[in-house]
Amino acid sequence: MAAKIVPVLKLAAKVTIAGGAVYIAYDSGLLGGSEQGSEVLGKAKSALPPAIDEWMKYFGFELPAVPKIAFAPVEAWNSGVRSTIYTLSVGPTRVGEYTTQGMQYVKDLTK
Amino acid sequence: MSEKELGKKLNKCFADTAVKIGAGLGLGIVFSVVFFKRHTWPVAFGLGSGLGMAYSNCQTDLRSHYLHHSNTIKEQ
Repeated sequence: MAAKIVPVLKLAAKVTIAGGAVYIAYDSGLLGGSEQGSEVLGKAKSALPPAIDEWMKYFGFELPAVPKIAFAPVEAWNSGVRSTIYTLSVGPTRVGEYTTQGMQYVKDLTK
Repeated sequence: MSEKELGKKLNKCFADTAVKIGAGLGLGIVFSVVFFKRHTWPVAFGLGSGLGMAYSNCQTDLRSHYLHHSNTIKEQ
């Protein structure tokens, strides 16, 4: 009797755990639209430092402070794209000019 | 679509992608451990599903600017 119930109980426990995980993901908006997703990320970002602090106090050691990088890729992206494309468009001409100059230099050396 | 609006939509897209990939990974790990004897494929499936959901959301978001909604058509 007990031997028959145990697999059923195991399956029920597994289904409960998996179903609970899916429900929690759905309920917290992880599986919704873009608005909900970005809201959740914002909440997680703001909740992370206090959580880390609490865990560090609990374990009794300190992590080194995160270095603050002044460079923001988001703001530099447009100018990066512009300068890359400019370099690519000007590239062949410049290569031709430098090759000509180099050949002229070698010719002058051999004279 | 103005560049500012496009920038905001892309930011939302990236945030949503990160969230969905994380959720897919988490659920994939749960299912892999609970049902599928720690095989790798449920994790890959979860990651792929999360990525696909994020892609679909991004697509809807970016296309919504160019679609007329029925309430605006009625007003006209």
